[in-house]
Order: sequence, then structure tokens, then C-alpha cells
Amino acid sequence: MTAFRKSCKLCDRDVERVDYKNADLLRRYITDRGKILPRRATGACSRHQHQLSTAIKRARFLALIPYIEGYRG
Amino acid sequence: MREYETVYIFQPTLESEEIEAKLESYHQRLLGDDAEITAVEHWGRRQLAYEIAGQANGYYVVAQFRTEPSRLQPFESALKMDEAVLRHLVVLSEGESPVLPSLRGEDEEDEDDDRDDRDEDEED
Repeated sequence: MTAFRKSCKLCDRDVERVDYKNADLLRRYITDRGKILPRRATGACSRHQHQLSTAIKRARFLALIPYIEGYRG
Repeated sequence: MREYETVYIFQPTLESEEIEAKLESYHQRLLGDDAEITAVEHWGRRQLAYEIAGQANGYYVVAQFRTEPSRLQPFESALKMDEAVLRHLVVLSEGESPVLPSLRGEDEEDEDDDRDDRDEDEED
């Protein structure tokens, strides 16, 4: 599990709005199986964690990122 | 009048003229009064993260527009009826860029900073 992080990376970078189209960014906030990482692992603040959650779900719907990575069946 | 953003995923087998024609006819349904299409961005053929309707690829188009909420319902039902549209999403626009993120040329330095941060954290 990722070590303790003091500040939200998205806040540090002044991200106003997490874009659901930015799959490369979102991939850093999901596990290698495709699950959304919990806040304790991402270090994201409340506002950005909520935005991430919504963005990841939209990106899944648009097949930009998988619902489940490596699922065959 | 509200700002919206739509992502279309078309069948990858369509010709570009067919896609243009379809976009034109869909967008026609949104227009009227002060409505305006503010951006149409073709991402082109991309691999889907999972198969949709037996397709492994899709042709992505992002459009941003300003229209009356009442116009969305007929717009969306037309999209649902069209089998050439694998999937579509309509959301309120939050001022995101319609351009394909990997082409935006956002500062790569930030990415490196992140990695440095992580290393420091793990040492703690």
C-alpha cells in the first residue's frame, strides 16, 4: 500500500476538475484489476476523490478504462 | 440554456462521410433559439477497454454544445435508435477540453514531480 501522503496531488497541481476523458490520469487511481483506489491510498482530498470516483465511472462506461482488468469470460 | 458535452462511440466500420452526416443530423436536433455547437473533436478509431456489441474498436467523437435541456430527450432517443452508435454519454460540461488528453501537451514535468514525491514518501 502506498505510504502516507500529506497532500492531495491534484490540489498540488491545481486541478480544477478531473476530466473523465483523461484515461492516463485515471489509471493512476485504479488498481491493476481496475478497482477505484481508496482515499487512504491515493491521498486525495474529499473534493478530488469525489471527482475521481465520478470520472472513473464515466470513463468505464465509455470503455476508456476497463471495469475489470484481465477478465476473460 | 446549459452547456453540455457528449461523447459518441461509433461503429469502427463507418466511413468518415457517414459519421459526418450522422453528427450533422444529430446536432440539427439540438439547434434552435441561441443553441450552438461549440466544439466537435474527432478522436478517431481507438481500441475499446472491453468489447461493446462484439466490437473491439470504436470511433470516438467529442462534441460540446449549448442548448435547451428540453432538446436533449429527442436527441438522445435518436442516438439510442441508431445501431451505428455503439455508445454515447451526455454530461454537463465543466469546462473540460474536448481534445484527446494525450494530444493536449500538458506539462510532462508534473508527471516527473509525482514520481519524485512517491520515492520520498516511501523513504519516510
